[in-house]
This record gives sequence, C-alpha cells and structure tokens, in this order.
Amino acid sequence: MIDAAEHRVVDCDWHYQDSFTDIVEYMEEPWKTKYEKSNWDAAGVKQNLSSFFPTSTGDRQAYGKIEREHSNYPDKAETPDRVREGMEFLDVDQSIQISHLALAMGGVQTDDERTQAFAKAHIEYMLEEVLDPDDGVYGLAPLPYSDIETSLEILDRVENEPAIKGACFITAGANPPLGNRKYDPLYKRCEEIGYPVVFHTGGSGLDDYVRAGYQEMLETHTLGFLESNMSQLVSVTCQGVPEKFPDLDIVFMESGVTYVPGLISRLEEEYLKRPEEAPLLEKRPSEYITDYYFGTQPLEVSASPDLLELCFDMLGTDRLLYASDYPHWDFDSPSTITDLPFISDEERKAILAGNAVEVFDL
Amino acid sequence: MSDEGLVEVKAAESFEEGDHELVDVRGVEVGVVRDEDEFYAFRNTCPHDGGPVCTGPVSRKLVGEFVGPGERVERSFSDEKIISCPWHGWSFDLETGENVADDGIVLPSYDVIVEDGVVYVDDGR
Ligand code: FES
Repeated sequence: MIDAAEHRVVDCDWHYQDSFTDIVEYMEEPWKTKYEKSNWDAAGVKQNLSSFFPTSTGDRQAYGKIEREHSNYPDKAETPDRVREGMEFLDVDQSIQISHLALAMGGVQTDDERTQAFAKAHIEYMLEEVLDPDDGVYGLAPLPYSDIETSLEILDRVENEPAIKGACFITAGANPPLGNRKYDPLYKRCEEIGYPVVFHTGGSGLDDYVRAGYQEMLETHTLGFLESNMSQLVSVTCQGVPEKFPDLDIVFMESGVTYVPGLISRLEEEYLKRPEEAPLLEKRPSEYITDYYFGTQPLEVSASPDLLELCFDMLGTDRLLYASDYPHWDFDSPSTITDLPFISDEERKAILAGNAVEVFDL
Repeated sequence: MSDEGLVEVKAAESFEEGDHELVDVRGVEVGVVRDEDEFYAFRNTCPHDGGPVCTGPVSRKLVGEFVGPGERVERSFSDEKIISCPWHGWSFDLETGENVADDGIVLPSYDVIVEDGVVYVDDGR
C-alpha cells in the first residue's frame, strides 16, 4: 500500500463549479445581454420555469445529506482558491478542471448559440482567473461539438495555452453519436495538436433519458451516466475513429469501470456476426477499447473484488486514470486506488499519476 | 473412397452455381461449394456453435474505405468472396477459411480436385 500524501497524484476530473455570473463577463453578445437581463442567476436556472441549460432529476446532495467542506458546491460559485484548498485536502498535486456547467450542455438541442457562447467564455474565464500550471491547475476545453466551425475556432484559440490539456466532449446529448463522420475534423485537429479527446458523461436530460417516467435520481443517474458513455463508446469504436486517427488518445470519464467488460463482450458477440457493418476495423472492437483510457470514478469499490480485478486486468492498469469528480456528490478520494488490494504499488502510482502525466502531457 | 485418399463428391457439371454438396471425409462432414467454376471444401461445422456453415450463401465481401475526415466511408463489394453460416452469420473467406471478423478463427479447409469431370475432396492422407 502507498500513502497518497507521499506520492504524486493527478486528478483527471475535478469539476470547477463555474458560475454564469462570473463567466458572463467573458461572453459575447447577444448572449451576454440576454443573460444579464434574465433571471437565471449563477447556476443558470431559477425556480421560475426558466433556465439557460436544461436541468435534471432529483437533488444531488440527497436532500441535505451531502456536504462539501472544501468547495462552495453546490449552492455558490466556486472561487479559484477553494480548488487549491480542495486539492490540498485530497492530496492531489495536479488537477484537470472540467466545467461543471458544461455538463448540462448536452441537453441543448436547439440550433442557437448558447453552447458556443458559453464554451468560449468559460475558457477565457478559466484562463484568466482559475487555471495556473504553476499551481498544478489545468483544464480542458469544452467543445460545443454540434458546431464544428466554432469548435475548431476554440481549438485554434487554446492550442498554445499551457494550461489547457485536451478537449472535452460531453457525451450526453450527442446527436448524431460521436462516431459520426461529422466530428472527424475535431478529432483530426486534436490529433494534430496532441490533445486527448475526453468523452465525459453528462447528466442533462436524465429525467427522460431514453424513456420518460423515472422517479428518482438513483435510477436516472445510475442509467444515464452509464448510457451516455456506452453509446458513444460503441459509436466511436464501430465507426472506426481509432483507425481514422491512430495517434488520437481517447479517454472516457465518469462511468466507473465495471460496465466496460460487459459492453465489450456484447459488442464482440455482435461484431463476430456482422463485421461488414464496421468495415474500418482491422481487429476486434475490444482491441481498440482496451487502448482507450478510462477515468476510474465512480469506482465500484463495493463490487466483488474478483469482478473489479477482472475489470482492471481487462482494461489494463496502464489505461486507468484516477479521477475524483470533486466536489460532486459521488466523488472518489485517492484512497479508492491506494486501498485496492489486488494491484501493486507500481500500478497504484501509475493510476494515480503516471498514466495521466503521459496522456495529458503534464 | 479412392486409393489416393480422394473422396468422390459428384460430377462437376451437376453442381449448380452456389450449390453445395455434403460428403463424409474420414468421419467429418465436409461441405463442397461451387462458386464461379471454382470448388471449395470446408468442415461443415461452424466454429461458433456448430451450424452447417457450408450450406450458407457465398457472397462478395462488403468493404469500406476511409477516404478522408468528414467524408462518408465508401462502401463497395470487393472481389473477395465469403461464405456465411446460416445460423448467425459468421463469415469466412472462401480462399483461406479465415473468419472475416477475426482471422485467428479459421474454418478448416480441404483441397478439392477435379479429375475427368468428377469432383473429389482430398482427405489429407
Ligand atoms: S453456428 Fe454458425 S454462425 Fe452461429
């Protein structure tokens, strides 16, 4: 066993709880004025039947049970100093900040420019006020991927920013799914820059995820966070993204690990029966998928150790990235990795930092 | 069975295009298939779940080519022929017996000889 405090820890998924009130200063017109004259408040939503992004089921804090000591989550906007405070608390040396508000972007299916305006302003705000490589605080550029042109502009804008370490695609709400050729220019550009593409699941639209009528967040969060990543994992793989862009690093974030072996197994059964439907694949889907990286959170530590060990073996400990998801309600501390009985200290260190250092070029 | 280890199938001219004929080769059921005047013989037991693979259709393999980012993958039927098991569609290259999805899976094949208008399977002896 190792002590996280004595080793380098990179957290690949920290959620900066950005606020619309902070970000709007950097937002282009007409959205700046629209926002300022709205009733939307810091979270972009008020209980007045009006919201900037769509919202989803249930209270994430389990109706007052969950509290965060080292973050302003959930009710107030984060401040940059609290990120440093939280990193200290978790023994995290370097963190990759992913926008909290962007997680709901996938719920926007209209052809307006909300997500574009938000993504651009978020990046300017983060660069100006939050990120600092000297403090180990890095970020990802959220891409409003339905608009290829704007997403390419964003990549041009950030490619020489040392604090931005990759591109983030929120997997919820991607229509068509992210293996579609429409997104090729973004993958090509990321491959050129050397940016990993981080497919991060999302919670938007969970109330009626695939079907309407669920009643509790227990149901929608269990299913929605899983399905959002599963659907893109299948699409990206079957459509041959890793064959088209062989130097692109692909990361899937925030669905744990136990779903992957099951999904791989099912996909392979189908692929063996209908391989001509994935004509770009030169090998079995599993051989691509086990080349992807996976954020560990929320790690299913209560699963049978045999099952978890099998998952780690199948995905490879060189492909797993520690992620806290702090300050969100179901965050993981580094002890989820340091306390795992079936891996070696070398593997613990690789998952806690080494793999991330390589993928994110830290 | 002939002295040379050849198992007689039937007259070449009685094979219709795409026709298959099953014969016993040293206790193994083997399917002989005619495609475009060529004959192929495989073990008629699918590696997947034992289906009668040689009784399935022969077709040209549908392939796709990546022609550039953002472009639709170009789909076309190649010159490579495959035979597909009728139970669940596992498909094998007609020339090599290699599974289309995973070339590590190979359907055992046999040499076919046509002599004096008669088709024989070589039993490998
Ligand atoms: S038995 Fe042949 S494909 Fe299943």
